[in-house]
Amino acid sequence: MSTPDPLAGQRPVPVPHNFTLPFWDGAQEGKLLLQYDPDAGKYQFYPRPISVFSGRRNLEWREASGKGTVYTYTVSHKAPPPLRHVTPFVVVTVELFEGVRIMTNLINCSLEEVRIGMPVRLAWVKAGDINFPVFEPD
Amino acid sequence: MSDRSIAIIGYYETKIELKSGRHVYDLAGEAMAGAIAHAGIDKSEINGFAVSSCFSDAGNPFYGPVLASYLGLELDWCQITDLGGASASGNVARAAAAIRTGMCDTVLVLAADAQSSENKGVIGAFRSEFQYPVGIMGPPGYFGLLSRRYDHQYGLDLKALGKLAVTQRNHALMNDKACEKLRRPLTVEEYLASPMISDPIRMLDCVMVCDGASALVVTTAARARELGARKMVHPIGYGERINHLETEQCPDITEVGHSIAGARAFKTAGLTPAQIQSFHPYDDFLIAIVLQLEQLGFCDIGCGCRFVMEHDLSYRGDLPLNTGGGQISAGQAGLAGGAHNLVEAVRQLFREAGERQVEQRHNAMVTGIGWIPYGRNWAASTALILEAAQ
Repeated sequence: MSTPDPLAGQRPVPVPHNFTLPFWDGAQEGKLLLQYDPDAGKYQFYPRPISVFSGRRNLEWREASGKGTVYTYTVSHKAPPPLRHVTPFVVVTVELFEGVRIMTNLINCSLEEVRIGMPVRLAWVKAGDINFPVFEPD
Repeated sequence: MSDRSIAIIGYYETKIELKSGRHVYDLAGEAMAGAIAHAGIDKSEINGFAVSSCFSDAGNPFYGPVLASYLGLELDWCQITDLGGASASGNVARAAAAIRTGMCDTVLVLAADAQSSENKGVIGAFRSEFQYPVGIMGPPGYFGLLSRRYDHQYGLDLKALGKLAVTQRNHALMNDKACEKLRRPLTVEEYLASPMISDPIRMLDCVMVCDGASALVVTTAARARELGARKMVHPIGYGERINHLETEQCPDITEVGHSIAGARAFKTAGLTPAQIQSFHPYDDFLIAIVLQLEQLGFCDIGCGCRFVMEHDLSYRGDLPLNTGGGQISAGQAGLAGGAHNLVEAVRQLFREAGERQVEQRHNAMVTGIGWIPYGRNWAASTALILEAAQ
């Protein structure tokens, strides 16, 4: 049961913060933007108002490759109220090549197919009118 | 803490109920009245108050002093702790610190919540932005991710989880404060057959959210003797770790903050895991007990399931575990749930646990877990070691 987006039309709309708007502006252009700390030479995710490495605000937004692997996953047989009728679906933690992890969904992938270590690549789905990053088998 | 100058001299726990319809202040009132009666002290002795935050009155930015007002408390020190299920054990340490630094003399440590009746909590933060859009089923979903990774690294023995479920259930059958809905016998087969929530997390891996409250009276050992306290328990070791490995963007999520909190607690108490006589770990999910056994040093990393299979964890066993039933079989009183295991440990050390009384009651260890950070395990870890006064 491979499906484009199991949460299509039902996906809760993200509520951005003022300091995370560049992430969502990038998403609308199909770019996965990550905060990069040039002093530490490291990326961080989720977006924050400060570098978690240095405690300074010297942060850049850089576009990620969109490539990674599955770090862990779970098959949701129960979901919060708006999504009660779309189960089962996969929630996955993807480790990006940039050295951060994103918790999201897998699309175009059956429940039986998903494995830890599986290579995945970025894809976009809609949450309301907002582009939301998900992943698919690479 | 190992100076034994601080003493817990009384405690009380309400019945844990599902959708009781009671207000959180009413539960708190019962817990306070019960605790001061049990301690045998006058209300006027209390001049410090350490309370856990709750879901039921979560919109109230003045919860601590407002609740204290309802309870008729005049205070020299008031503390609200928002470490979720780690708040109650954390508040014993905070009360001890406040007393030692001279801010107050006798503290009421209280935790109350009626989450199953009224929930005003709005967490927001990254949840509204990056978690809710993913559809994950809250804590069971997160523990599904954690369990899957643990299974990948070390292998997850479902029979060990089933044994934990049954052991705790048997204890709840002996605890008339446990939620009645949960007080029926359970088998490993029933655990394994329980419905999948967020694979590999099953329904019987999880707590059931309820209503309830607990309170303890903490003072100095010297004042306790002046007050004629019959029994007392000393907090002799404590450690706490918040946001463990936060700056690491790709940490091993099977490594939890109890590795740090536990080491500090054992060091201050001057004890080793092998010397702990009963263990009362925070249990929102069964896998959390396995991880804590490993990271507190009761066994090697990755060997938690084997440890469970090789030890008798019943109240008569070599390491009695969650003898009140734990939250999973007694019910989770919302954010006050972390006080259930704490009160049970104190009850055991007071030798007041009735038919489930453990034989070795010189010391006990209690832990707390609070809140779930983005894509990790848990944000707050506490470890508290208690010792019965001789």
